[in-house]
Amino acid sequence: MALEQLSDVVQRCQARPDDSYTTEDHDVFTIAGRTCIEEGNSVQVLSIILDEKNQEIVRSMGWNLLPPLIQVLLKKDNKNLPQCLAIFNHLLETCRPKELLIGLLEQLEQDDPDTIAESVHLLLNPLQKVLLCLGSRKASSLGMTLSSVLDQVAKLPLPHTKDQEEDDVFSLCRCCTELIAFIRPFVQEVRLDLLNSEELNQCVILFCSCMKTLSHPLLEVQLKDPDTLAVSPLRNFATEILNTLSAIGESLTSLVYQPLLKRKQLPGFLEEEVRYPKESLASLAHLVFVHHLAADTFPSVYNPVFCLRCNMEHTCLLFLMSVCVFPITQELYEKSLVRVVDGSLPADLLEIKTFLTVSQNLVKVMTICPRHDLRIKGLKVFQLSIDKFDTEAKYNFFQYMLKTSGHSGVEGYIIKNIKNQIDLALQPGNSNTWFEGVHLLPLLRKVLSLPDGPETDLLQYLDRVMESLNLLRYLVIRDKVTENQTGIWTELYKIEDTFMKPLRVGLNMSRAHYERELHNTMESKKDKAKEESMLSVSVGDEKLPNMTSQSQIQALHSALHTFDMIESVLVRIEELTDVRENL
Amino acid sequence: MAAVPTRDWSDEQLKSDDLPKKDIIKFIQDNAAHSFLNEHKLLGNIKNVAKTAKKEQLIIAYNQLFESKRFKGTEPVEEVTEQVKAVKIEEKPKEVKTEVVDEGPPKYTKSVLKKGDKTNFPKKGETVSCWYTGTLEDGTVFDTNIPTAARKKKQAKPLSFKVGLGRVIRGWDEALLTMSKGETARVEIESEWAYGKKGLPESKIPPNAKLIFEVELVAVD
Repeated sequence: MALEQLSDVVQRCQARPDDSYTTEDHDVFTIAGRTCIEEGNSVQVLSIILDEKNQEIVRSMGWNLLPPLIQVLLKKDNKNLPQCLAIFNHLLETCRPKELLIGLLEQLEQDDPDTIAESVHLLLNPLQKVLLCLGSRKASSLGMTLSSVLDQVAKLPLPHTKDQEEDDVFSLCRCCTELIAFIRPFVQEVRLDLLNSEELNQCVILFCSCMKTLSHPLLEVQLKDPDTLAVSPLRNFATEILNTLSAIGESLTSLVYQPLLKRKQLPGFLEEEVRYPKESLASLAHLVFVHHLAADTFPSVYNPVFCLRCNMEHTCLLFLMSVCVFPITQELYEKSLVRVVDGSLPADLLEIKTFLTVSQNLVKVMTICPRHDLRIKGLKVFQLSIDKFDTEAKYNFFQYMLKTSGHSGVEGYIIKNIKNQIDLALQPGNSNTWFEGVHLLPLLRKVLSLPDGPETDLLQYLDRVMESLNLLRYLVIRDKVTENQTGIWTELYKIEDTFMKPLRVGLNMSRAHYERELHNTMESKKDKAKEESMLSVSVGDEKLPNMTSQSQIQALHSALHTFDMIESVLVRIEELTDVRENL
Repeated sequence: MAAVPTRDWSDEQLKSDDLPKKDIIKFIQDNAAHSFLNEHKLLGNIKNVAKTAKKEQLIIAYNQLFESKRFKGTEPVEEVTEQVKAVKIEEKPKEVKTEVVDEGPPKYTKSVLKKGDKTNFPKKGETVSCWYTGTLEDGTVFDTNIPTAARKKKQAKPLSFKVGLGRVIRGWDEALLTMSKGETARVEIESEWAYGKKGLPESKIPPNAKLIFEVELVAVD
């Protein structure tokens, strides 16, 4: 039936010019033709399509047959495959490029990962061919195509491990490789010394597409280095993207150092922010500095401190993204820090807001990120950044952190750093005015204090209190009372009033309280009467079971043990200071 | 200087807080002989003298001036000559101070291979463009931006950056400020003004490496 209709309409149109074909002719051809293919009559359709007499018709209407054809090719329906492939190829040769483009792009839109990968694989070459036929006015069509392809590829699951990349089950790697082959002729067409406005548009399109790939998938996959995976399609893809950027005249150095360079005047029609998406630039910096891609084209003359400053801006931005990106953030920051000599970053760098913001963000990762491995990574790079500051900068940074971190563990960690710096300063030849001379005492006063006086919750502030006590003990042992290099001995009477005595009071109060709690708990356990606790805790919709008496007792013992620990250090300090003072 | 200066301030006025040290110093400097000022350590910038001299000392000096009558112009000629000599010595240190660099001699050397126009020298903050080749002491080329037959010619551009702002290694910043447009120079940079003890492993620069660059300054902003 459909076949007859198709033959009829073709015959009707055969001798006529194409501008005389009516809408009805078009519709009948389309519906009948599609039905024939769907019903499996591809042999007959092929002969109609190939017939010399029908070429004008084919040129005018043939592209409408693309949908069912592509479906057959995607499904790899063996029976009809050769004929459909032949029809498909003939249409590509004969029909008008603009219309073919529309037809092909429509078929690119798929939903499930398998079909997406297959349609990209099938359609990229035809699309390339069609676009090249468009001649010099192809820029916007190229843009549309790349945009669709990248959107589709973005739907594919990403490989995370080396095995996943090798297996490439969802064909993301294959798509990336094919994408590079796809853009190659368009990149080669761009002759940088003879740019007219169309070629300029083409450059802009290519540039925007590169930027898009830098953001996805490149920011979200962890590239494997050559030792782990010798042949990595993703690493090759990343390298090719960088090469493409260079080929279209974009300097990698200007892109990477963008945050600190004055914006140049842009030709083209895109806004600054859209044209240089910050995440893509951060991704680029990561590829260049951590994976050393395109290293042979990157100049080796830049100052490591300048690199660090630029990469801080990128790092700052990356912190705004999801925590999954943190490994990349950490790697970029760490790599930049490592190139700088220890103790060389001056205090005025801290005045750049970015430095402090990055540190604050690191503290957040260190303290509240649910993943243990990321917390460890955060701490490692935090300490590395401290090591790079010079003495004055360290001093300022420690003060800043003590003031703003709001977390006992972080404060304790900083106090330990302060102790190390004092220890260094006391060694011969290392003397400085920050951790030994005139500035040390104000810092010590901030450290050797209790946040809430005698009522400070010693368990909550344990880390900080213990490190403060350790520092004080260290000072009274290390700094002889006859030398008093740190000034601790002249300050001691004040410290006794503001720190040691309130701590003593606090310890006594806490211990008394917990001992009473322990006593009550053990009494009620003996009574076996299940006391209804006044508090209940629910997570989701489930109420958590109350702590058993046994657990309560264990917790209380643990608290008392902690107080003993604090007290033992305090007593030791009191012994040492009594002895010295009585000398 | 014929007239003898009058003693305007009484002891009480001198001791009073209303009379600043600077005024007393100025009076004594204006009116006392050079040797008197020297003995009482009242020579030099008034501010500095005010820092080091106590009020009591100034009152004593003031009184002694009128007692000894060692005013300006009461000295023999030799003392005047000494004054002139003394002044000369004082001026020299000031000049030396501005030229001495805290860190010692520059850690790079430059030999000109091709002269520039000797008029267009880059200033700090201006953008310079260069072709360059960097080698290690053993001759290994670790970096260049000069297009060879192997590289695609269309990609080659001179390196552009703002000079003197610490964006590049110090040897480059310092050397380029001494070059004029069109000049080609061989610049040897010691590691402290290059990549120091860290080196740049990914660029084949080992730790403590002395770097040798041949640089052509093509343009100055």
